[in-house]
Amino acid sequence: MSEKRSKGNVVAVRGSQSNTKIGVLVECDPSIKSIIINLDSENNAYIIEDLDETHLLIKENHLGELKARLDDRLKETVPVVENDSDSDRDVK
Amino acid sequence: MSIASSKTNSLAQYLEQLQGTTLRRLYQQPSAAFAIFRRMLPHLAKTIVMACLYMPTPFLLSDLEIWVRPTAKREKDQAISILKSLHIVAISIPAKDAPQTLSLTPNFRTSLRLALEGGGRHNSFGVPSTQPVPAEIDAAFLDRYAHKKWDDILHFVVNSVGLGGSSTISSSSASGPKQSVKDLLVGGRLVERRNVGSGINITQAGFTFLLQETNAQVWTLLLLWLEAADHAANGGDKTGSAAAVDSVDMLSFFFLLASLELGRAYSTDALTERRQNMLPNLVDFGLIYIPPSNPHQFFPTRLATTLTSSETALRSVSAGFSAATTGLPSSSSPSSSSGEAADGSGSGGVSGGPGGAGVLGDAQDRNSIILETNFRMYAYVQSPLQIAVLALFSELKFRFRGLVSGHLTRASIRRAIDMGITSDQIVSYLATHAHEQMRRQAAAARKPLLPPVVVDQIRLWQLDSERMAATPGWLFRNYDSQQEYLDMANFADDIGVVVWRNDRRRMFFAHRIDQIKDYMKVRGKAREQQQQQK
Repeated sequence: MSEKRSKGNVVAVRGSQSNTKIGVLVECDPSIKSIIINLDSENNAYIIEDLDETHLLIKENHLGELKARLDDRLKETVPVVENDSDSDRDVK
Repeated sequence: MSIASSKTNSLAQYLEQLQGTTLRRLYQQPSAAFAIFRRMLPHLAKTIVMACLYMPTPFLLSDLEIWVRPTAKREKDQAISILKSLHIVAISIPAKDAPQTLSLTPNFRTSLRLALEGGGRHNSFGVPSTQPVPAEIDAAFLDRYAHKKWDDILHFVVNSVGLGGSSTISSSSASGPKQSVKDLLVGGRLVERRNVGSGINITQAGFTFLLQETNAQVWTLLLLWLEAADHAANGGDKTGSAAAVDSVDMLSFFFLLASLELGRAYSTDALTERRQNMLPNLVDFGLIYIPPSNPHQFFPTRLATTLTSSETALRSVSAGFSAATTGLPSSSSPSSSSGEAADGSGSGGVSGGPGGAGVLGDAQDRNSIILETNFRMYAYVQSPLQIAVLALFSELKFRFRGLVSGHLTRASIRRAIDMGITSDQIVSYLATHAHEQMRRQAAAARKPLLPPVVVDQIRLWQLDSERMAATPGWLFRNYDSQQEYLDMANFADDIGVVVWRNDRRRMFFAHRIDQIKDYMKVRGKAREQQQQQK
């Protein structure tokens, strides 16, 4: 099959197949993205490709771990407001 | 665990992952072809199928282009893509001398024609029983029966939440579903045993299941059952394959059930042995009723006859269920609303007559929730099932006879979201169950039904805990030429699988790959031919 093809075609067909990357597309705010990049900088365990300001391609098998670590990081930095909806409290 | 890993929750997903040969076998039965046509296809796809159905020659793709407005190209491509993935149409491979044509696959065409014309001796729409029907079995009886069976299953799932008030719930539904059904729910990961001896807990999938409309719930269970049966057949001894379950046969049996008429008796003797063996499971789900006095008859309930009705909107537990059991006109399938069965069920649903008696509780619970701008919620509900569902996403404070009140708080919403409920599901649940008073006020003041501040806050709370949205799929990149990139990306965009694209960097991300692969092959071949000719 491939011998018959001209050089250009081989590159096109083979190229597009080998350059298909399986992964998880993650959409997030730039602020969250910077945290993910920070987490990844330790040993590049998560990111396959940095796509644009709000998108990243992440390794599928490490997604859960990344989510957990991101949650931990956010807990450190974002204060948790208790009962912020309860404007009129019950009288105790 | 193959059962848990393959997330085939909906019928559409299940059908799409089937092999072409499997689907072709399925289409041998007219009721299956008809059901798929009716339930699975978008409107434009139906139109295309109907156009081709009696066409003697294949349909030129270029002619189809003319039929469809240029602005609707996307819809057309998506319709064709669905038809192709379900193996309903075949499209010829492009060649230099012959233009591309579209034609229905032979099995589907023959079966759909048979289904519409009513010819043939295929028995695919059931064989009515000739034996006398017991007097007490009517549509109302079957509705009550189905309601009881299905509620037992839902109760079992809700009970596993382990929130407050569960003890009262379990006492009210002492019987519960059969052990086999419980095992199925555990096997399908709707509920799971986290620790030995601690009873069972609901999973994310279980929550999604609870908030689905009944029709989707029934399919979820049936597909779980199919997968479990497949699993058992593949893992078990090969010698007993004759007795093993054939999933294609069973699937077409489900479609057959869906084409039956409510309130009519059908003969079990006309069924194959495999299908007869399946009947006890369907009894456990409440899809059919077999009178103890005569095991040669079975009666489909409304759960079965509405299986392929076109009602696909997401509805809440009780609304969906009352629709399925009281026979609202919108949800009853054409086959069940024709003939004598319609008389009994129609009056039951509208006037709350004998047919509605069994589901009175649900009808009351439907318009029951008052939601205030201060996040307080008052719900006039009686059914433990409803209270348990409310407890999933609110903090219930007081419970009186016929009334519970509570708060929506950040913690309660987050808990629900952590368990897999989405903010949209919560909002739509509150909206469908809003109290009559809320509706009147909203209409009078021309304001939204639910206080916008609460709705927005629920959504914000979800965003709070979901900092990123993840979509599994494939990234396509490293294209040599812009034209080649645009060709692929636009194709993928047209069939609706592109999640993200960046034309400058020549990359796009698709959540499905099968058809893109096919397209690449076809294009590769076409190029090859061109090269040879040169």
